[in-house]
Amino acid sequence: MVFSSIIFLFRFLPFFLLLYFLANVFPDRVAQRMKNVILFLGSLVFYAWGEPVYITLMLFSTVSDYLHGRAIANCRESGSGRGRRKAKALLASSICINLFVLGFFKYADFLVGTVNFLLGTKIPLLGLPLPIGISFYTFQTMSYTIDVYRGKAGVQRNFLDFAVFVTMFPQLIAGPIVKYTDVERDLHERKTDILGISYGCRRFAVGLGKKVLLANNIGMLWEEIQVMDYASMDVLSAWLGITAFALQIYFDFSGYSDMAIGLGSILGFHFPENFRHPYTCASITEFWRRWHISLGSWFRDYVYIPLGGNRKGLGRQMFNILAVWMLTGIWHGAGWNFLLWGLWFAAFLILEKSFLGKALEHLPKIVGWAYSMVVVLVGWVFFEVEGVSQFLWYLRAMFGANGAGWYSDRGLFLLLEYFFVLAAAMFLATPVMEWGSDALERAQGGAGIALRRLLQKAVPALLLLASLAYVVDASYNPFLYFRF
Amino acid sequence: MDDDKQDAWLAVGFLCAIMLLFLIVDLVQEDRLFSENENRVLAKRPALSWEALASGKFMEQYEDYVSDQFVGRDNWIELKTRSELFLRKKEINGVYLGKDRYLIEQHLPEDVDAKTVASKLRLLQGLVVKYGAKVMLVPTADNVLTDKLPAYAPFYDQDELLGQARSAVGEEAYIDVASALREHAQEEIYYRTDHHWTSLGAYYGYQAWLGHTGKLTNVKYDTQGMETVTQDFLGTLHSKINLPVAADEIRFFPETLDRPVKVTYDYNTETSSLYEDSYLEGKNKYGFFLDDNHGFVEVETGYQNGRELFVLKDSYANCFIPLLTPHYERIYVVDLRYYNGRLSQLMDPYMGASTDVLVLYNCIHFLEDFQYYG
Repeated sequence: MVFSSIIFLFRFLPFFLLLYFLANVFPDRVAQRMKNVILFLGSLVFYAWGEPVYITLMLFSTVSDYLHGRAIANCRESGSGRGRRKAKALLASSICINLFVLGFFKYADFLVGTVNFLLGTKIPLLGLPLPIGISFYTFQTMSYTIDVYRGKAGVQRNFLDFAVFVTMFPQLIAGPIVKYTDVERDLHERKTDILGISYGCRRFAVGLGKKVLLANNIGMLWEEIQVMDYASMDVLSAWLGITAFALQIYFDFSGYSDMAIGLGSILGFHFPENFRHPYTCASITEFWRRWHISLGSWFRDYVYIPLGGNRKGLGRQMFNILAVWMLTGIWHGAGWNFLLWGLWFAAFLILEKSFLGKALEHLPKIVGWAYSMVVVLVGWVFFEVEGVSQFLWYLRAMFGANGAGWYSDRGLFLLLEYFFVLAAAMFLATPVMEWGSDALERAQGGAGIALRRLLQKAVPALLLLASLAYVVDASYNPFLYFRF
Repeated sequence: MDDDKQDAWLAVGFLCAIMLLFLIVDLVQEDRLFSENENRVLAKRPALSWEALASGKFMEQYEDYVSDQFVGRDNWIELKTRSELFLRKKEINGVYLGKDRYLIEQHLPEDVDAKTVASKLRLLQGLVVKYGAKVMLVPTADNVLTDKLPAYAPFYDQDELLGQARSAVGEEAYIDVASALREHAQEEIYYRTDHHWTSLGAYYGYQAWLGHTGKLTNVKYDTQGMETVTQDFLGTLHSKINLPVAADEIRFFPETLDRPVKVTYDYNTETSSLYEDSYLEGKNKYGFFLDDNHGFVEVETGYQNGRELFVLKDSYANCFIPLLTPHYERIYVVDLRYYNGRLSQLMDPYMGASTDVLVLYNCIHFLEDFQYYG
């Protein structure tokens, strides 16, 4: 089930919320238990709606890491050297199981395909459909066992609470990747108050609007340009196309995160932020501090820093960057293009670490921004255009090396056709609106407060209304994360 | 802070009330079978079974069902279209919002591949070689009303296809409809809300046909004397964008009523007119011509000249064929979409020394639907 559908908004969500808040009639402790039961069952229904079979896989993962967590904690508590070694072995077992599940369902065919290509063998592909959200929940459960081992997280002895952490529907299928420590407290003692609920509703409306009004509409531009012949594509169309994709994936992904954070807030959870206006960055280093933050911090905490981070010399740091961004790339999909996409960024991160970052600091910010945008947009070509020759043709089109000229009627038509959507999206990709709402939030005068009270109701209401129109006539409403 | 709390209660309460209202209305309202606006059958409640659940098929169908039957569906779609207009969009759902209130169907170059073109032309050539067929390929509105298109609007340029067709079938067989229509591009030759040509457009096609075949007749069609049968025609393109626009008129040439005709649809239904008034009451008013689409139509014209015509055609021919009645005693009309057998088996029994063959399609239908087995 996706959030931007009638079935979710007008069937699942009302019934679920009704049950969830009905639990409030019971005394506090019982209500807390009941809410977790309802959240767990609701999440199973939510997941099973799209993946009736793979729900067993998710439950297996949950049980496995629940048991591993308890066993690791027991061994740690014994305090002996033997206990610590055992804990380490158990952690390794947990990680192996998670990676095996992920590897089998996500990467097996990629490996087989590569082997077949290299050796000319004809090993048959498995052809398994990728279980939705698998990359998100396996990363979440790994964060749990690792943090229990490190002593950063307390062990969860209540299976229900742990199962809620893994299966919770708001962030299950498209993130943010919530670490166990992020919600440890919320799992058993969270407060739902009316301010959190109304904030959650507003946040959800904003997210839905981003997904349905901006991402889907701009996505249609990319969809149209994507299928054109790159060998005869003009410069304007090529840049228009990849810009459209860049805006589509940003608003889609950050819209999903907003909806997840909003739903979380309604239910009483505090999820981490996932995007902070990535397209306003002035370097690639900064881009990755603003883009898919929860994934970046996962890799930082569980791969980059354990490998030594920047503490073991520049050479080792560069190796670590390379490793982390190869993993980041391949996390987004089992394909060579995703690996190259990761390496592309790794290359610029390494350049920035060695000299480019210093150089950029002395230049006006706009230079850093322009450089970052070119790198990011070319990056999206890696990400979206599959096949080496197609990829090269697209790059040639972007830089006018295919001889098709600067612009074409087609490009001009599309520019005019999408002008307002593009302009709106670019404007909303900046933090301007946030500054505005922050200023209103701090407003003291009567007029400022009145304006805030009006806008806080009117804007989400209009967004919901408009989004609904686009959800009902959903001729184009893709789910972009089926390969994650 | 109390103000904020009060506001929050108000907003959340309002939202819940709206959601509940929608949910209840949605659950109790009766399902619609058909959407007049979208011109399609709406999804029905799927049957629940274990297999359908396990495969996920039930969920898919249920989602379609809920979305198709959603409360106020038509209004939501209109709201969407209006917001696209607000964003100055010139293309909605594959339809250009052209100048002078013209809706023009969009056909993009990338949707046509050379292989399809080649195979369709081979099929066409076959008919010309075997039966001496004449060929009328009619360009669609986007290729003729180019000055009505939005600025820089892309379209599949059908001239290349027509040029290839012309050299494939030869001058003898090729009737140049495109030039005839372009000469009259400022007249009402295409509907504003539908993808068909008008009776006037068909008339200019007929003139091209006359000029090419050199046929003679005493019947002179008077373009000033056309009769209007309805002024409320909202065609297929209107259905796709679903906005209030001015309706089209449907007109026809009264000269085509001069002599009694006998029309037989699919070998069994007989009528005495080329026109069916009943369609004018419904949505599909273009069905007025030749009773919409049939696999096989036989027309006895009342002009006893011993000549016969066999037409392979799409719906563009429906308003064109009445104009041919003075030239033939019998006209046989085949829509290949409804015929799966061997074409020669169907045609050969009708082929005599005095039988002409005509192929009439618009360029897009020609590429999509023109298909037969020798």
